[in-house]
Amino acid sequence: MLNQEKILLDLQQALEKVTLSDLENLQIKYLGRNGLVNDLFQKIKEVSPAEKKAYGESINRLKEKVTALILAKKEELVTKEDNAEKIDVTLPGKNYPQGSLHLITQGINEISQIFEKIGFIRMSYPEVEWEYFSFASLNMPADHPARDDFETSFIDFPEHSEYGKMVLTPHTSSGQVREMWRLGKPPIRMINISKTYRPNYDATHTPMFYQFEGLCVDKGINITHLKGTIDYFAKAYFGEDVQTRLRPHHFQFTEPSFEVDVTCTVCRGKCEVDGKKCKVCKSGWLELGGTGMVHPNVLKEGKIDSGIYTGWAFGFGIERVIMMKYGINDIRYYYSGDIRFLEQF
Amino acid sequence: MNIKITYNWLLDYLETDADVFEIQKYLSLCGPSVERVDKNGDDYVMDIEITSNRIDCASVIGIAQEAAAILPRFGKKAKLKKNPLTQLKFPSGFKSPVNINQLSVNIPAELCPRFTAVVLDNIQLKDAPDFIKKRLQLCEIKSINNIVDISNYLMLVFGQPSHMFDYDKIGQGKMWMRESKKGEEIVTLDEKKITLPGGDMIIEDGDKKIVDLCGIMGGLNSAISNTTKRVVFFVQTYNKNKIRKSVMLTNQRTVASTFFEKGLDEERVEPTFVYGLELLEKYAGAKISSPLYDLNYKPETKRVIDLNIADVNRIIGVEIKDSEVKEILENLGFEIAENGFSVPPSRKNDVFIKEDLIEEIARIYGYHNLPSELPPMVYIKQPEEIEQIFSLQYKIKLLLKHLGLNEMMNYSMISKELITNFDLNLKKHLDVKNTISDDIKYLRLSLIPSLAKNIKDNEGKKSCLQIFEIAKVYPQRENELPDERLKLAVAVNTDFDDLKGIMQQIFHELCIVDYELKVNSSNRFFHSGIQTQVKIGQDIVGEVGKLKESYRQNLGLKSEVYLLEFDLQTVIKYQQNLLPYRPVNPFAVIKLDLTLNADKIVFGELKKTAFAKSQLLQKIEVLGKYQNKLSLRFYFSSSEKNITQKEAEAELENLKKI
Repeated sequence: MLNQEKILLDLQQALEKVTLSDLENLQIKYLGRNGLVNDLFQKIKEVSPAEKKAYGESINRLKEKVTALILAKKEELVTKEDNAEKIDVTLPGKNYPQGSLHLITQGINEISQIFEKIGFIRMSYPEVEWEYFSFASLNMPADHPARDDFETSFIDFPEHSEYGKMVLTPHTSSGQVREMWRLGKPPIRMINISKTYRPNYDATHTPMFYQFEGLCVDKGINITHLKGTIDYFAKAYFGEDVQTRLRPHHFQFTEPSFEVDVTCTVCRGKCEVDGKKCKVCKSGWLELGGTGMVHPNVLKEGKIDSGIYTGWAFGFGIERVIMMKYGINDIRYYYSGDIRFLEQF
Repeated sequence: MNIKITYNWLLDYLETDADVFEIQKYLSLCGPSVERVDKNGDDYVMDIEITSNRIDCASVIGIAQEAAAILPRFGKKAKLKKNPLTQLKFPSGFKSPVNINQLSVNIPAELCPRFTAVVLDNIQLKDAPDFIKKRLQLCEIKSINNIVDISNYLMLVFGQPSHMFDYDKIGQGKMWMRESKKGEEIVTLDEKKITLPGGDMIIEDGDKKIVDLCGIMGGLNSAISNTTKRVVFFVQTYNKNKIRKSVMLTNQRTVASTFFEKGLDEERVEPTFVYGLELLEKYAGAKISSPLYDLNYKPETKRVIDLNIADVNRIIGVEIKDSEVKEILENLGFEIAENGFSVPPSRKNDVFIKEDLIEEIARIYGYHNLPSELPPMVYIKQPEEIEQIFSLQYKIKLLLKHLGLNEMMNYSMISKELITNFDLNLKKHLDVKNTISDDIKYLRLSLIPSLAKNIKDNEGKKSCLQIFEIAKVYPQRENELPDERLKLAVAVNTDFDDLKGIMQQIFHELCIVDYELKVNSSNRFFHSGIQTQVKIGQDIVGEVGKLKESYRQNLGLKSEVYLLEFDLQTVIKYQQNLLPYRPVNPFAVIKLDLTLNADKIVFGELKKTAFAKSQLLQKIEVLGKYQNKLSLRFYFSSSEKNITQKEAEAELENLKKI
């Protein structure tokens, strides 16, 4: 019996100074296969049969006490460890590099994904183009105002015998007839995203800007498909609650032609923000851009029979949709190279 | 362009139960967009956008016609009270009265397809009547006197500008219309002296004075003044291209010119003239004192367009009844003809083919009444190289962003100054003839000058600059479009090590392992000792280096700049989706360190020969460089067995002998 008390006493003493890492050794010393408690169990052979039961019970009690003491200590030490350290978690963490992507890159990525889902492939066509692809093939006769010096940038280069002067493409529509030629015949489902150029510079125009062009040509394509696609795009890009409408308009390379409006992204078409008149829109709508059914003369240039096939096309400005979605309105910053603007994105 | 008219004015010609806001809503859906409606006293001012093909509706009458066709579609009553376009004709007995004030006119058909003029005597210059003054003021046109105001009033009613000259200031009553010679001068009504670029339509009088810059503004020397007694009342159409060109080159844009440059309807000259005469007689005491001069070089011809209902439905996408098609077109002034419809004169510059008619049907039917459908799904293969260039471009951009770089997008054109600052050959660059700024005249052949300039422009805005751009360059070819190629360029103001690390990450991202750095000193952008060519396979894909001191000086850069430029399309040829797989080596790796004199070796060459010579060498790691001491760690291992320390040491000894 004495032996058992001593074991307990020793353990209690040992536990007073023990650390968490020593505790495991202590546990082995007492409760391990060759530990002190097991030793006592072994000695039951030496005990007289009459006392065997009482002896066994006393060792079991000892084992329970030892186990309880160690467990209690463990819990105490673990809790202490948990509370030991304290840091100011509000301090900033380690600095990882933070770069930026240009707004246009992000816009292009978003737009191409939206159209990819409905089977439109992204193509790429020349930025430096012949007049034929930029104008003549798009039903814009030689005397059309868009073809003069004030609307188009001309390159100092000898004229092509067939395709005319060299220009900086003023719109992504220059890719329309090229895509028709590439495929040979419909169906066509194309998105063409590219730099485009016009000689303008003010708060809403830069001499270089980005457009995205949609072109869909097939049997049985009609205005309802144009409406559906524009509506799909507007909802995917601006949000499901956005409405679209088509208004009559005029472009040389489409007939009928439309202008697309979407409900104002600021007032959500309500014309009112916090009880004040919306500063951004005209009567709840914002202009998105131009669209229409591909003009039969354009199909003809693309060697497509307009008696069998019909199509639609649109060309929207990427700067414009970004402006409408995020409110970043001075587009001159886009190409200024100013790091204070660019690093925000 | 936008026009302003008033609601009450519209009601002079339109009988309707629609209020102004209903008109705004319905017209915007099916016709011209009414962008604003502002109440002013008992009237409303409507601000309306007119598309360039619909100059015929840029007037009170034009809008009334549109409203009469559109409003009934929305259950509103609407019809024209009167139609001056068809009702106002020259009086049949237009006789030359006594005291004839003759005009002697010479009008070339190619400049002026329709010319009308008359001399009016007994003019009493005073204020215009109140209704005219008030309406003009609501439409933001300044009231001057009865003569000028009537001219402006006519323009708003008909969309046809007119002009009044002081007859007594026209030398010998002679009006000779011709194209100007370069350098001729005119002082216009607004007292601006304009030196004519040549080819502008002008009128010269009998005293060789230029009295009119046609279609844009009259000359000050023939203007109405307080002493005016006799006027020439003048209504014309002009060659629209010539008007536009003169406006652009003289920068003299007027309300009249914005009408003329769209191309006006010759038939509308007559009602405008007749109504103008009526107003001038009534409100200015005018008396006709000359014959009527009317030269119509482009008399009306009827255009009939075939229309098949199947085409209508095929393009619009819903079935519209034959009777509805007829009703819509008739309300717009088209007349049923055999197999089709004849075009009213006011639409002759706009409606040519069946698709034009279908547009009219569709818009009046209402785009809002059409369902929205996605086009049927078809699979079209995107050319592989196109798909790759887009997806890898984005992958590289994302990588660089995550490495902390900022993406730049510069104009594709740069200045002569920037080109010469880098000693580049100006002649090799394509240039924009009519650039709006010399800063953006020459198409880039390299992104390096732009990025170096970006660093310069951002000095002081941020201390550590690491930027990149992916963009096309435009090297010219004979008789062909330029060979547009995508380049990737990076610029940093830190050190070579930083740039080299960025390059390594790019290649790692593209799983390009076997690239070679060729020691090079031929790149003219870079320091001769701090530059390298990068070679993959047989292709030199680009160059890396430190911007040459002289260029740094030319640009006024404070910091040193390190740059790389790769031909992205060539790099992409070598990209892989995964690095080649190597089974995990279960055998021991023994690492041995060695310090060498850096001045005596080129690491790249040492590496190449070491790997060629040793089968056990797995990797060489650079531990660091201190002064000229380069510390390296060699990793030895065999893929067949555990090697001993001794074997590794022996291997290293072998390598030392190189």
